[in-house]
Amino acid sequence: MMCTIPEGGLLHRVRMTAIVAAIVALALGLTAYAQAAPQALTIAAASDLQTVMPELASGFEHSVNAKVTVSFGSSGNFFAQIQNGAPFDVFFSADIEYPKQLVASGHADAMSLYRYATGKIVLWARSDSGIDVKRGLIGLTDARVRRIAIANPQHAPYGRAAEAALRHDKVYDAVKNKLVLGENIAQTVQLVDSGNADASIVSLSHALSPLLRSHGTYFEIPSSAYPPIEQAAVVLTSSANKLLARQFLDYVKRPEIRRRLQQLGFATS
Amino acid sequence: MDWQAIWLTARLAGLVSVILLVISLPLAHWLTFSRKRWTFLIESLVSLPLVLPATVLGFYLLMAMGSRSPLGRWWMAATGHGLAFTFEALVVASVLYSLPFAVQPIAAAFAQVEPSLREASATLGASSFRTFVRIVLPLSIEGVMAGVVLSFAHTVGEFGVVLMVGGNLPGITRTVSISIYDHVQALQYREANLTALVLLAFSLAVLVTVYGLRRRPWAAAPLA
Amino acid sequence: MTLVLDIVKRLSPRFAVELSFTAPAGVTILFGASGSGKTTVLRCLAGLARPDAGRIAIGERILYDSKSGVNVAVQQRHIGYVFQQAALFPHMSIEDNIGYGLAALSTNERTQRVARIAESFRIGHILDRQPGQISGGERQRAALARALVTDPSLLLLDEPLSALDHAIQSRIIEDLRRTNEARRIPILYVTHSHREVYALGEHAIVLDEGRVIKSGSPHEVLDHPEQGVVASLAGFENVFDAAIVERRVGAGTMQCRLGEAATEIEVPLSHNGNDRIRIAIRAGDILVANEEPRGLSARNVLRGTLVDLTQQGPTMVAVVEAGVRFIVHLTPGGVESLGLRRGDQLWLIVKTYSCRLITD
Repeated sequence: MMCTIPEGGLLHRVRMTAIVAAIVALALGLTAYAQAAPQALTIAAASDLQTVMPELASGFEHSVNAKVTVSFGSSGNFFAQIQNGAPFDVFFSADIEYPKQLVASGHADAMSLYRYATGKIVLWARSDSGIDVKRGLIGLTDARVRRIAIANPQHAPYGRAAEAALRHDKVYDAVKNKLVLGENIAQTVQLVDSGNADASIVSLSHALSPLLRSHGTYFEIPSSAYPPIEQAAVVLTSSANKLLARQFLDYVKRPEIRRRLQQLGFATS
Repeated sequence: MDWQAIWLTARLAGLVSVILLVISLPLAHWLTFSRKRWTFLIESLVSLPLVLPATVLGFYLLMAMGSRSPLGRWWMAATGHGLAFTFEALVVASVLYSLPFAVQPIAAAFAQVEPSLREASATLGASSFRTFVRIVLPLSIEGVMAGVVLSFAHTVGEFGVVLMVGGNLPGITRTVSISIYDHVQALQYREANLTALVLLAFSLAVLVTVYGLRRRPWAAAPLA
Repeated sequence: MTLVLDIVKRLSPRFAVELSFTAPAGVTILFGASGSGKTTVLRCLAGLARPDAGRIAIGERILYDSKSGVNVAVQQRHIGYVFQQAALFPHMSIEDNIGYGLAALSTNERTQRVARIAESFRIGHILDRQPGQISGGERQRAALARALVTDPSLLLLDEPLSALDHAIQSRIIEDLRRTNEARRIPILYVTHSHREVYALGEHAIVLDEGRVIKSGSPHEVLDHPEQGVVASLAGFENVFDAAIVERRVGAGTMQCRLGEAATEIEVPLSHNGNDRIRIAIRAGDILVANEEPRGLSARNVLRGTLVDLTQQGPTMVAVVEAGVRFIVHLTPGGVESLGLRRGDQLWLIVKTYSCRLITD
């Protein structure tokens, strides 16, 4: 290896820059301590709620004059994080199993467990793909359909439902080699929207979103074809804002909000 | 345009780079010049983050810093709040995750300093520390700079670990990479592109500054 | 102040350094082939390597003693070391290089001392330059100045002049000699070049395979190599196996037959019982004539044929077949005035005393 020989000027410049940079970096980093924890409500929401939660949050903010922060992510991840002390107040899961387990382990308030929606899946294809979604899942066996995007059945409830529906309609074996798995429902939507898949099974709520609506068509898969996707929310025992949290759940239970959820693709009981 | 996330990421990367520099100099020095036979064990430990997937590392760091862990509990007792899901947790996680990116280039730079120069320094009465500061460090400054730049860049680009350990709390642990991902998840491609462009420009500016300080980037110095 | 060294160090399963010598004030040459252990000795003296056992002392100061567990750290030994490649710090000026070991002094005093020693080594005019900007000779002088400015009690030089040409070597040797006249510390000079031994040494120690095989003045050691190893080191180009034909005890000479040939020469008398012996003759000690010489005192006049003639640097190297092959060094002027060409008939003239006997 060559022994690089820096000129004297370089060393001086580096020294000066390093000292300045170090001071700046430390100062910046330490200002983090000045950050106060949010006084408002922090919600952990499953990523498939991205089409609806922002609206619910801002509606609630106006009604009670509080600040709501929403973090989206995979329900499984949130589950692990909450068990390790994640500072959320409310957890809106895409799968009722997680809130149930959190109640069992003492991390969540049993009384607050609320099944806020039942998810629905649809078959969705781009308008320019030439695929007739009205034919239903059977149409996926067509040779023109080369890749089908679904969420990963291993850990996404919508993926599990998609797989169940495919099996129910007896097309799973025929199409399983065409399946492309998205990490979660949002990524699944990305796959088909970007043209990397020809058709997909996504949530109704996503199909109804402005983006997908504008350049695709969907077919609602009969709910008898798959086990219900029960989605539940729960208030966490570690929350410092339990009152506000329960108020939010009350807000979500309101009839007009439940109607809104239905409009946006979630079935409510 | 998530300025909050950009600012947070800049602070995180800056702080992590400084901390890594302070840690890596003595660590790299020991790894390069120690005659103990078990340095390879420490080398392996240091390099571990290179081979572990971010999600695995993130998960174990979460366990190690969470409210159920000894560290998390101690932190709670000492400061009144938890360690995980805070900016500090990101700093700890990023320091661990970017450690090999700092240590390896710095150690390599130390190793290419001619041994006879260090020996000459010693025969002239200089202590190990003086030899390091006056001979080894100046002659390996480019490798040290590379280590700093790499740790900075690696921290900026970090996603999986930061998500697991930070919990994606806006203004506290939502870094730029998570913010972009969130936008994409919400199908807000325009916002995602904008933020990504700003991130790209910022990173490029940092690299240009650092490499501009060098006389001949990546070229070998001519022999005297 | 005398240096006393008595050490053992095993470097590999097959090679160990085991030697003991004393070096008084002045220049002692450590002379030997590559791999003979010379550098190991220097490194043990400097503290850069640790012997397995033994003792190193300069005057009253004990630097290393395995029996009492003393091992003074490199930094505290106060020994000057000049490396083979100078090892000047490339990112510092010559002035800062030379002053590096004087950190404890005030800036003023340091500047003065550096200036003084730079003057005595004739590099005062390049103090502000960097090592990459000066010549090889200037670099070695700077390295010498750097080692000496700290007033060490011992100076070690590891083949410092091997990369330089003869003219520059001579001048640096002069500077070193002059400096040492004032200081009188032991200076250990490692080399494998016999030229430097003559030019510099007051005392020479020959190393081979980690052991001292001969010591004495340069002339003793080099001109009368009794060992084959020393002979080849000392630059005897002609070494012949010979059989003793006749001993002339009264004359102090004997007649020997060289190799398998009928060629016979007269050499000094050996008092060994052996009938077989080896004879070493310097190529520069052989005279050449292109007609049969008369009226010479030399006892050995051999007829031969010039087989090869090449130039090596300033020397003409001739190979002459005279029953056995002789290598002869001539000046270009000599070759020209004799008009020598390959195939020419020649007479070789060798003095009896130019023939050295190798007895091992």
